[in-house]
Amino acid sequence: MINKILRFGLISLVLILLQILLFNNIQFSGYVNPYIYLMIILLLPAGIQSWLLLLIAFATGIIIDFTSGTPGVHASATVLAAFSRPYVLRLIAPRDGYEAGLQLSMADYGFRWAFLYTSIIVLIHHTALFFLEVFRLEGFFRTILRILLSSLFTAGFILIAEYYRKNR
Amino acid sequence: MRNLLNFLLKHNNLIVFLILEAVALALLTSANSYHNSRIVKAALEFTARLESKINKARSYIGLREINSALALENSILKNTLERFSSNSNIVFHSVNDSLYQQNYHYTTAEVINNSVNKQKNFFTLNKGSNSGITTDMAVITNNSVAGVVVGCSDNFSVAISLLNIDFRVSARIRSSGYFGSLGWDGNDYRQAQLSEIPQHVTIGIGDTVETTGYSTIFPEGLLIGRISDFRKKGSDFYNITVDLANDFRKLRYVDVAGNLNKAEQTKLENQFQ
Repeated sequence: MINKILRFGLISLVLILLQILLFNNIQFSGYVNPYIYLMIILLLPAGIQSWLLLLIAFATGIIIDFTSGTPGVHASATVLAAFSRPYVLRLIAPRDGYEAGLQLSMADYGFRWAFLYTSIIVLIHHTALFFLEVFRLEGFFRTILRILLSSLFTAGFILIAEYYRKNR
Repeated sequence: MRNLLNFLLKHNNLIVFLILEAVALALLTSANSYHNSRIVKAALEFTARLESKINKARSYIGLREINSALALENSILKNTLERFSSNSNIVFHSVNDSLYQQNYHYTTAEVINNSVNKQKNFFTLNKGSNSGITTDMAVITNNSVAGVVVGCSDNFSVAISLLNIDFRVSARIRSSGYFGSLGWDGNDYRQAQLSEIPQHVTIGIGDTVETTGYSTIFPEGLLIGRISDFRKKGSDFYNITVDLANDFRKLRYVDVAGNLNKAEQTKLENQFQ
């Protein structure tokens, strides 16, 4: 158990550092901003207490907020993603249900499941995030385009990372 | 009472969610004053320190380019010095009379964190209130507009970039003198939009756009960019696209300028407004 928590902490740390040091610096004409730290929320086991999940999401968001100078934006988007997670999980539940204590992974539930799960939550998160960041409806379609392109890259990165974890 | 407790237990998920969202949104909406709150100041100080470490490693990559820019600036400064020292008797007034009517004092700083990919871009400077930097000072690079300082800690300060959809600066067309308002529409980091220029003014592609001295933040006559496109659209004003003189991706060494007479000017203006 302790071992599992330590491992999860390590993965989270790596993801947050990757986000701050690498992905925050991708400057591809302003349309592609992948936020891969969301993988922290995606990995947590299905049986986790919902309040704990929300708190972890809030903490992660706040860390990203303070390091990229956007107070509250990431925190609220990530908390929203964490809140919607149980509903998404129920919506796409595999026939045998989930193993409560295990990290959710592509290895256990297959590519189709992982693809749906990742893309739905990434879309929810990015939609909230980009609209909160701009905080206006002006340039609505540009924001939509930013959401779609960034989601594509975030989900792509997470799925590739999952694929490597599965094959290891 | 028991029903209430049952209700709370059943929906604890929703309640925690609402509380956390409320905290996050409160943070978000009070963002304007957030640089002043103590916790954020500490966080800013910490991350800025981290970033300056990273930046140190990164700065080696651009050394060649910076070297040539510095050499160029050096020669310009030497020329200016030459001009001032050779005719010290005040017979000729320099057209750009910066020596005798100096309103601004300058200090240099280095940009240690910067972005161009968001809608609201900010950058961090490696000097803060210990070096005399205060909010509302102008950030200038290569004699053109870069941004305005919005928050300072002891050793660092944060400036709002020209590439921020909330940033507006008073600008005029150098040839005709007509002024309008310049802002960024969030699209291309190399272009900004100049508005409020009436349609009877003759303008041409390549016209220089510079700052006016109206804002008390920026010195007058700073280069902003050149007109690359203009369009007449419905209203009485042009839609003008300006190619920015600065490449904000390469922002590194900047001058921070403070207006010495600002307090006096705003005090006088406030008496009549």
